[in-house]
Amino acid sequence: MIRLEEVTKIYGRDTVAVSDATFDISKGEFVFLVGPSGSGKSTLLRLMSRQEVADEGDVWVAGRNVNEMSPSRVPHLRRLLGNVFQDYKLLTNKTVFENVAFALEVIGKPRHVIAEQVPLVLDLVGLSGKEERFPHQLSGGEQQRVSIARAFVNRPLIMLADEPTGNLDPATSEGIMALLAEINDTGTTVVMASHDHRVVNAMRRRVIQLDRGVIVRDQERGVYE
Amino acid sequence: MLTRIGYALRETWASFRRNLTLTMAAVLTSAIALLLVGATFLIQRAFENLLVQWRGDVAMIVFVRSDASPEQVDLIDQTLRASPTVIDVDKLRYLDKAESYAEAQRIFVGDPVTLSLLTPETIPTQFKVVPRSDDPALVRSLGEQYRTLPGVEAVALAEDEFEVISTLSRFVRTVTLIMSLILLVVAVGLIWNTIRTAMFARRREIEVMKLVGATNWFIRVPFMLEGLLQGLIGGVVACGGVWVLNGAWTNGVAGFKPGTGISSLIVPGGYLGGVMFALLAIGALIGAIGSAIAASRFLDV
Repeated sequence: MIRLEEVTKIYGRDTVAVSDATFDISKGEFVFLVGPSGSGKSTLLRLMSRQEVADEGDVWVAGRNVNEMSPSRVPHLRRLLGNVFQDYKLLTNKTVFENVAFALEVIGKPRHVIAEQVPLVLDLVGLSGKEERFPHQLSGGEQQRVSIARAFVNRPLIMLADEPTGNLDPATSEGIMALLAEINDTGTTVVMASHDHRVVNAMRRRVIQLDRGVIVRDQERGVYE
Repeated sequence: MLTRIGYALRETWASFRRNLTLTMAAVLTSAIALLLVGATFLIQRAFENLLVQWRGDVAMIVFVRSDASPEQVDLIDQTLRASPTVIDVDKLRYLDKAESYAEAQRIFVGDPVTLSLLTPETIPTQFKVVPRSDDPALVRSLGEQYRTLPGVEAVALAEDEFEVISTLSRFVRTVTLIMSLILLVVAVGLIWNTIRTAMFARRREIEVMKLVGATNWFIRVPFMLEGLLQGLIGGVVACGGVWVLNGAWTNGVAGFKPGTGISSLIVPGGYLGGVMFALLAIGALIGAIGSAIAASRFLDV
């Protein structure tokens, strides 16, 4: 599903964000990218969604060579991905329903599909009954659930989550992780960057550890060390 | 498809209201620029009426009495052709009664009194003389001679009637053209800035749209429509302005004494319609250009 071959990404002249990274992620896997801030976790996610382009090596996502993709094809790649962020990136002037519907609206889905899919996914993330709330009327955990709903509503092949529990307390984080696990159980590949030991250790999934842009460990059913 | 059009229109309208001050500035600047463009067209057209009889380097017109005999006309023609060093005989033209009458219709367009006195029978015919020499004194002295020929009603020299107006017309055209061009560029810049600001105000939405896979065109279209609309509204305002100005001018001209050149300075309704259509088109164009530049440059927010 995702394959990186000797990928290097350098910001500016000499800030090496990722160095010679190679790994494979199969369909349906749940993978943690771990490491301290600045170790290159986010950059790896951004390379997969082509918010960044690698300086060296190849990035393959869902059978597409992301590096060589023409800019006009990028939107089609992004429709196969769901992105979740630490700061949720919700639109504050839109309701919960509208935030999720927005993701379908802007890729041209017809109204009846939106009317059908949005309640389904809001139910999945446990926000039924809060459709008309605005983001500021929700707790952090609930806002992150909206964000996950928005990322998942188009049934992506892959979920890319960048520190989704970074702003949440442990109990709330647990709920978010349970939700991501549930989404993973539907066959969706999940790649999650995190430096939250508790979350990583509780899940016991594959762990890829980075240190200053270099992969130092790739372990099945690993823990944060 | 319908969802997309609906989306684009909704977003355009919402953004329009959000940025009301900037939008007004862009619209008004476009309107003033376009008004000047329109005025340039109209002034030009009005002067053309006045200058129509001197078109093609004509420097002297010999008017022939309407009751002159064919022999007298022939004599004048021969006399004119007898000075090939001063007169360009190849370009010598004789306008018969029908042609002279048609021309008078344009010259006296704003002077119904004079126009009603003219009939195709009573109108003087005319020789249009293009000089070969650059020396106006030479042309003038020839004119003095022709004045005494039998059948000649009058001799008019461009130097006396035309040159001041011609120079004035060229000057006015140059000034208004330069001013309107500058203002058009300013209008494009203001529309560009309005759209840029609108995009900046919505950078979070644009970021989300890009992340969930909206195409660049989908993101751009509402902004480009917004710019197009601003230019178009400017065009509509300018059309109204041109229409009002022309009406006031036409009324004012009607008050002048008949027989003065001023009464020629009138623009026919069909031409005014054409100018208004052109203003709408130019307005839409500057809007499209301004917003297209902004939308393609500031998508990476």
